[in-house]
Amino acid sequence: MTAPKLPLEESGGRAPLLEVDGLVMRYDTEAGEVSAVENVSFALARGEAMGLVGESGCGKTSVALSLLRLAPENARYQSGSVRWEGVNLLDLSDQQMREYRWAEISMVFQGAMNAWNPVYRVGAQIREAMDQHFDPPLGSSETEQRIDQLFQLVGLDPAVQRRYPHELSGGMRQRAVIAMALSCDPKLIIADEPTTALDVIVQAQILEELKEIQQDLGLSILYISHDMAVIAQVTDTIGVMYAGKMVEFGSTQEVFHRPSHPYSFLLLSSIPSVTGPRRRPMSLEGTPPNLLAPPSGCRFHPRCPWATEQCRQEEPPMMPIGPSQWAACWNAEQVPQMGEPAP
Amino acid sequence: MLRYVIRRLIQMVFLFLAFLTVTWFLLYILPGDAVALKYAGNPNIPPEAREVALQRLGLDKPVLIQFRDYMVNFFQGDLGVSFNQYPRPVTEIIGERLPRTLVLFLAALVTYYWAGFLAGKYLAWRRGSRGEMLITVSGVGLYSLFLPFFALMMIWLFSVQLDLLPISKFLDPEKWRDAPFMANEVFMRLFWVTLTAAIAMFAASFAALRTNNRRLERTLRWGGIALAALWFLFYWFGTPSGQDMRVYAGDIGYHMVLPVLVLTLINFGGVMLLTRSSMLETLREDYILTARAKGLPEGVVRDRHAARTALLPVVTSLVLAVATVIDGGVITEAVFSWPGMGEILISSVISEDIPLAVGAFSFIGIMALIGHFVVDVLYGVLDPRIRVTEHG
Ligand SMILES: Nc1ncnc2c1ncn2[C@@H]1O[C@H](COP(=O)(O)OP(=O)(O)O)[C@@H](O)[C@H]1O
Ligand SMILES: [Mg+2]
Repeated sequence: MTAPKLPLEESGGRAPLLEVDGLVMRYDTEAGEVSAVENVSFALARGEAMGLVGESGCGKTSVALSLLRLAPENARYQSGSVRWEGVNLLDLSDQQMREYRWAEISMVFQGAMNAWNPVYRVGAQIREAMDQHFDPPLGSSETEQRIDQLFQLVGLDPAVQRRYPHELSGGMRQRAVIAMALSCDPKLIIADEPTTALDVIVQAQILEELKEIQQDLGLSILYISHDMAVIAQVTDTIGVMYAGKMVEFGSTQEVFHRPSHPYSFLLLSSIPSVTGPRRRPMSLEGTPPNLLAPPSGCRFHPRCPWATEQCRQEEPPMMPIGPSQWAACWNAEQVPQMGEPAP
Repeated sequence: MLRYVIRRLIQMVFLFLAFLTVTWFLLYILPGDAVALKYAGNPNIPPEAREVALQRLGLDKPVLIQFRDYMVNFFQGDLGVSFNQYPRPVTEIIGERLPRTLVLFLAALVTYYWAGFLAGKYLAWRRGSRGEMLITVSGVGLYSLFLPFFALMMIWLFSVQLDLLPISKFLDPEKWRDAPFMANEVFMRLFWVTLTAAIAMFAASFAALRTNNRRLERTLRWGGIALAALWFLFYWFGTPSGQDMRVYAGDIGYHMVLPVLVLTLINFGGVMLLTRSSMLETLREDYILTARAKGLPEGVVRDRHAARTALLPVVTSLVLAVATVIDGGVITEAVFSWPGMGEILISSVISEDIPLAVGAFSFIGIMALIGHFVVDVLYGVLDPRIRVTEHG
């Protein structure tokens, strides 16, 4: 299967920055192999914001960490590629990989509250990344200036850089993390549940600011969240992951208004919608499967109210649905009109 | 930070007063009347002589007056005279013994903490390697040994069988017969020179952790070690007083090797396991992932981020180590016939030499308090969360 690529006109003629193709990553555990990333493909253009959604445990963080090759020690890459401007990152030596980290791709981690080492000042931890990557190195006053600018950009008083992490509020820490993520001029920022730990108002503010920064600087962002509504507001494209697989991928517009996989459909129908088409609220029952022994056929079939015999037996491939939308469901065509399944 | 230090100092003074009071009453009241005990068995002592003896020692006064006198004298630096080595002042005896204990145990403490920390760091970093198993087993094995037994085994091996190291004592009397120095003078000199060298080394390697410049970092790390070594060599070979004392200092150093080795081997396992678990916990933290994501080399992630933070509980454990230095000291000094504080502690209590016993206990209390204070300040320096914040 090839990576679903957005037609060039859709992405404004922007060249792909990142192409993930058929990525398979499993964790070795005592209990067996955890199939955390199974044949995942997507592409991200320069300046584009993509969202990766799915419930907890569906492999979103595993995908994100794979892009930086930072997955835990027991991760095994079985096949597939992660191409960054044409270079397969999975083929690089550790030394070469380190040069891509932060300078090309930086990351705001899930629970970024703890992204700060408690014993060093915030500014020192940002400087550390800059000292690692700027070549030729910046002078100390230039570095200082740049950090000042970054702090202003994320709405923080530059004096904050002389504080220790424990002296900052959650929102400040998170803003400082974003400043740190921007410090080496990356082309892509991965934001893994960047605001989950914050209160709702701060969450909204930070997402709004992040979006502005992304557009001003022409950055690409990969947002990861379990919350489809949040993602839809800030992204151009959306990938929906379920049980280690990408089940739907497409422009946010299309996925949001015409979800073509029952999983996306159910994720969306739990959101009270004001602008979107009225849907009967239907709930998503159960929890994602244990990936030590994923279900046969379509991994979603045990929870899918419309599952058929074919779904139990055969794995559906990604199939084109619209001009820039793909879904892996045998009944994808019917999904947008679906209501309660016949008893 | 300054306010924190001052507050701790005031606390220490009160703690010490309480400690001294309890010790004084326990030792003065519990065994009863020292002169009576000393002369009771002898029917030839006339009651008048007994009175005189009591008066001379001040034991005829009411307890509270005695206590008040003791405290007043204590803070004027007068701890009285020893009953047994009458009329040698207690301060003089302690002044002679304290440095010997301090030097021996500080040397052991620094060595085993350093070795334990390095080993623990390695274990956590190379989890699952073959070396890990070997080090863990030997560390835990040694840690669980009984100190006197192990010390005697080591003496048997190194001193009797191999004849490499002296059996006991802290110097060789033969060598010192015509020595122009008091043993204590040499001791103190050895202590200061080693301490300054060690401080220079640790300060440099600590500064190395902070810099992001690889070359500067290496320069600092090795420069610190070189500087310490140079200062050490320069002092003993390059200065007149150092040259004169060298042989004698060497003799003391030679006698310290075995006790320090024994204490290190027995104790490093505990520090190692603590460091290992602390480091493993730190390695799971998000900021380690962040450090890696920033593209920092593994050595930097390990030392500057993981080990630096993992150090905190290890430093906390120093408080307990200071306490074990004191009680373990009694046993170690006995086994190695090391004439330090542990030895006078036992002998003065057994022989009812109350002023010496109170004096010895009070100095051990002072040592413990200072040790605790140093650890607290060190912790405050290492962990910004503990420091009283300067920002509002
Ligand atoms: N180090 C690991 N070892 C084994 N299994 C893991 C490891 N990390 C994550 N997993 C498993 O992989 C699956 C995907 O996890 P994750 O990528 O964290 O999902 P998400 O970010 O969507 O919540 C989960 O089933 C999780 O239990
Ligand atoms: Mg996650």
